[in-house]
Amino acid sequence: MTPATRARLRSLTVHAVLFLVLALWMVPQIYMLSVGLRTPAQAFDPALFTWPVTFDNFVMVIRDNPLGRIFLNTLVVTLATVAIVVAASSLFAFAAAVLRLRGVTVLYATLLTTLMVPLASLVLPLAILLRTFGWVNTYWGLIFPYAALGVPFGIVILKAFMEDAPSELFEAARVDGCTAWQTYWHVALPLVRPALVFVAIWQFIVTWNEFFLALIVMTEAEMKTLTIVPMQYSGLYMSNPGALFAVLTLIALPLVLLYIIVQRAFVGGLLAGAVKG
Amino acid sequence: MSVSRAASEPAPPRSRLRAERLYLFALPAVLLFVVFIAYPILWVAGQSLYTGNRASETWAGLANYRAVLVDPTFWIVVRNMVLWGAITIPVQMLIGGLLAWFIERHTHGLRGFFRTAFFLPVVTSVSVISLVWVQIYAPYYGIAQAYLARIGITMVSSPIAEPSQAIYALILVNVWQWTGFSMLMYIAGLANLPGEVLDAARVDGASGWRLATGVVVPMLAPATRSLLLLGIIGTLQTFPIVHLMTGGGPNHASEVFGTHIFRQSFVLGDTGQGATLSVIVLLLALALSLVQIAVLGARLAPAKGGA
Repeated sequence: MTPATRARLRSLTVHAVLFLVLALWMVPQIYMLSVGLRTPAQAFDPALFTWPVTFDNFVMVIRDNPLGRIFLNTLVVTLATVAIVVAASSLFAFAAAVLRLRGVTVLYATLLTTLMVPLASLVLPLAILLRTFGWVNTYWGLIFPYAALGVPFGIVILKAFMEDAPSELFEAARVDGCTAWQTYWHVALPLVRPALVFVAIWQFIVTWNEFFLALIVMTEAEMKTLTIVPMQYSGLYMSNPGALFAVLTLIALPLVLLYIIVQRAFVGGLLAGAVKG
Repeated sequence: MSVSRAASEPAPPRSRLRAERLYLFALPAVLLFVVFIAYPILWVAGQSLYTGNRASETWAGLANYRAVLVDPTFWIVVRNMVLWGAITIPVQMLIGGLLAWFIERHTHGLRGFFRTAFFLPVVTSVSVISLVWVQIYAPYYGIAQAYLARIGITMVSSPIAEPSQAIYALILVNVWQWTGFSMLMYIAGLANLPGEVLDAARVDGASGWRLATGVVVPMLAPATRSLLLLGIIGTLQTFPIVHLMTGGGPNHASEVFGTHIFRQSFVLGDTGQGATLSVIVLLLALALSLVQIAVLGARLAPAKGGA
């Protein structure tokens, strides 16, 4: 056997094994889609695939439920959170890495402790704080806590990127008479663009799927976000798994599609060394 | 390191007023931290020393802590959290690491496809995942019992309804969901490995197992460290899978900190106990992070060594 054939054989084996593992790994998602496409008579069949398929469940759940409104709530909360996290963390990272203001290092260390705070320990006080502010069942009630929890991670990554950037660029901007704001906007932000994209995508994923705080803050039906409605559908469609799985597929779909579109930029940011401390 | 730089290299002279205005750059992040992180933490710490509901509270000293610690459910939670971390973290590292290695070293055209496909569970809403797995585990019509029966394993009831199995059944779902994340972290780690080092090791005759354990695993240590820290924090904030699949049951058998805090605070309305549990989780997170930093080094989330 020549080395070339051996290499080809090894490559084939690796691909075969990877596809096998992937097929197993995808079973829950395939099952979800498959049950969503079943007629009521087949819905309880203990099989991964059934035939024929029908789109009736999807048509029915779209017609009967305010999924558009729920989707919109999620989108508003997520986009606002991402915007605040990207803005606040890049501003702070600039102050720490480029301006090197006195005392900012201490602030940085303090903010970093947030990375170690599990959300589970904050839901009770946040619930009470938000009630005091009158922010229960409002977008702000989720946006601000999510942003506060997301900012430290953004700062870690953006600060590392700004420190790695050639300092002569910032020096040149200062010599040219740029103000701090102009340096931030025209020099620092373009330099760390891959990291900004990475932070934005990761924050988007985390916020879109956050469950615990959303469960407690959004109690009114018209304010609910996508992650907390599956529970109520599991009650509503208890005897109709086809409809339940159709609605679950629809709930999961937007973020999955979005990730497939942006994955190149996301992995690119990661490979550029986004996560390095 | 920024401290020494700031000290040795004084900021260029500018008027005091302008220098102070520069702190506006740090303000939004600090404000968010103070209002939505620091204040809530101080509040729970204070509240854990009172009993009663919010209408009538009385000073209780450490009575809440005593009550929490003598509650047998608390110790079930501790056991479950230890199991959760001890199984989830290494299993995800192992599978994620193997996937990363084979995808990065042995695939070319399909690399992007595999990277994305294995990551999809991470971006699939956890509440959707939980309900799908309830159905998979279901007796009579679930696919788990149907396919396990073919290889001779009989399931009489759903594993999440069995007190002795529930926590493991939930851990499996969690491992399944997050392995793609470990894979991606290791992919980043591998990408930052200098190719010459691998080639040099090959030339020296290291191959297969020796190459993996002697060269690759040590060089991926920064990624492993990040995954350990993130795994510990993730374990402590476990909530949706358990809440949606078992609610902590049957009879508290799969209770975790998240569900325990949720029940005490929002179902039973016992703010004192809820706050006490929150403080305990916070202290645990802090202690575990400090231990890890002391033992493994101070870098927080590195994917490449020495950067």
